[in-house]
Amino acid sequence: MHSLIVNEWIKIFKRPGTYVMIGLLVLAVIATGTLNKVYGEQNPTVNPQWEQQVQQQIAQDQKQMSELPPTAATYKKNLQRQIAINQYRLEHKIPPDNEATGWTFIQDSTALISFAGLFTIIVAAGIVASEFGWGTVKLLLIRPIKRSKILLSKYLTVILFGLMMLVILFGSAAILGFALFGTGDGNTTHLAYANGSVVEQNMLLYLIKTYFLASIDVMMITTMAFMISAVFRNSSLAVGLSIFLLMVGGQITTLIATRYDWAKYSLFANTNLTQYTDGVPLVEGMTVSFSIIMLLIYFLVFQLLAFGVFTKRDVAA
Amino acid sequence: MSNPVVELKHVTKVIKGKKIIDDLSFTIEEGEVFGFLGPNGAGKTTTIRMIVGLMGITSGEIMICGHNVKSEFEDALQHIGGIVENPELYKFLTGYQNLMQYARMVKGISKQKIDEVVEFVGLTERIHDKVKTYSLGMRQRLGLAQSLLHDPKVMILDEPTNGLDPAGIKEIRDHLKKLTKEKGMSVIVSSHLLSEMEMMCDRIAIIQQGKLVDIQQVHDYVQDSKQKYFFEVDLKKAAAILKNLPISYKRGENGIEVDLEKEEVPDMIQFFVEKGIRIFEVKPLAKTLEDRFFEVTTQGEKVHA
Repeated sequence: MHSLIVNEWIKIFKRPGTYVMIGLLVLAVIATGTLNKVYGEQNPTVNPQWEQQVQQQIAQDQKQMSELPPTAATYKKNLQRQIAINQYRLEHKIPPDNEATGWTFIQDSTALISFAGLFTIIVAAGIVASEFGWGTVKLLLIRPIKRSKILLSKYLTVILFGLMMLVILFGSAAILGFALFGTGDGNTTHLAYANGSVVEQNMLLYLIKTYFLASIDVMMITTMAFMISAVFRNSSLAVGLSIFLLMVGGQITTLIATRYDWAKYSLFANTNLTQYTDGVPLVEGMTVSFSIIMLLIYFLVFQLLAFGVFTKRDVAA
Repeated sequence: MSNPVVELKHVTKVIKGKKIIDDLSFTIEEGEVFGFLGPNGAGKTTTIRMIVGLMGITSGEIMICGHNVKSEFEDALQHIGGIVENPELYKFLTGYQNLMQYARMVKGISKQKIDEVVEFVGLTERIHDKVKTYSLGMRQRLGLAQSLLHDPKVMILDEPTNGLDPAGIKEIRDHLKKLTKEKGMSVIVSSHLLSEMEMMCDRIAIIQQGKLVDIQQVHDYVQDSKQKYFFEVDLKKAAAILKNLPISYKRGENGIEVDLEKEEVPDMIQFFVEKGIRIFEVKPLAKTLEDRFFEVTTQGEKVHA
């Protein structure tokens, strides 16, 4: 298995496109970093009267909440969260960290995870389909190795590639963030709101967790792209459909969720696990275990389709 | 007869309700070059792909060195090296990197072995160039190298000479000869080029519309020296004379056909000359594979029509 993954890895890295993808990802980090530096607040010192400010904010939020119509449930929940966190700040004398630091930059860079995901999807979509496109699949499959093993090695390679993209994103964001914005005042706690209460978290652990959780939807869509690639042998279809879903899947699901309860069974309602650790669930009554089970079901369906079709397929043409 | 290396037992393939291969059975012995002949769409490629496991088998079984392709895929494929049509290789890799890809997939292939194979197919000088710079002939050679890495007992070549120039075709032929002679490999080769097959193969199976029509030993000219000769002569006169002789002959157009050994040909000519029969032309009528092929396949078509 090890040597099969090496093979796939070589096939990915002997193509210039891969380096273009990595380059674009690093460039995106540099671009956001530069923009933040140039247009961000220049000298954000801690306001000595921050307690008053926070109190004002709480009052404002509470007023807004009481005025909201009952249909805006999601918005209301977000306000609730904001109020809870601000009250926690007052109680424990933790000033809000408006200041841009390397830490916040790493956190802001989670927005680029879907960018890293995009490239992983492209790799996943091509890894089976292009063997068919190149015609190399014939020579690949007449080795004394079971097809399921070959497909598994390809899937593991995709996951490894995805992890590598995440590490590159995290690493370049960290290097650039600390270089441009410094490490801040050493206050490395993060306030998270979960199940109606506020908890303090270590910043580094929090960030790693955030990256991991934020990449779940990317990994799920990558798995889907891989499945389409193996089933339909068509990388354009796999790329197109997956990226479309990556871009709008979440929004459409949110839209449906405001009206129908069954939205909670859709893939995108469950990919965002941060809604349980730091936020509010999309549909009332959803729990972490529910989401994990849903994700596992989707994952299994994708894999069964991919492996079922790929191992049985007649290789013609 | 030695052990069969490849054995097909009542193999049938149905695609979308259509029988592509119909109850095909034959065996291939050690060290034999086995040709697979048939018109386009007869099922040659399908059969070959079933042997190497690229296509599923609807019913029946295929054994390779005693291992079932379906249930013991890894053991069976260990003994097979193959090129399926034009070898499609990774163009963005060098020849060597391509070979490394395949070498990693089987245990115990040393660098030395790779070099040896590269040397054998004569690619030593260009092996570190990217495959996209290779000519078709060179790709074919790299394809051959790829199939030899794990010392297979059976080589399977699907239309190996497609698109090659005569020099390239000859090269492939020479390589195959070397392999069967030196390494005792069996070779299965499919083609629709009759003359090619005649030169390469020991035995030839003709298939048509998925059915085995005929298996024939390719004529061995050294052992069996009798051949048909055509004499263009005055038919009436010749017939009158030959009537009294113990020679069997056949009337052809403008002449007669006689089975003779090579040594008897001058005697026959002399005989005619002495009898005052004018000879316009004498030529050997080798019953070629081509004749047999058309004979067999057109019969088949008539049956189906």
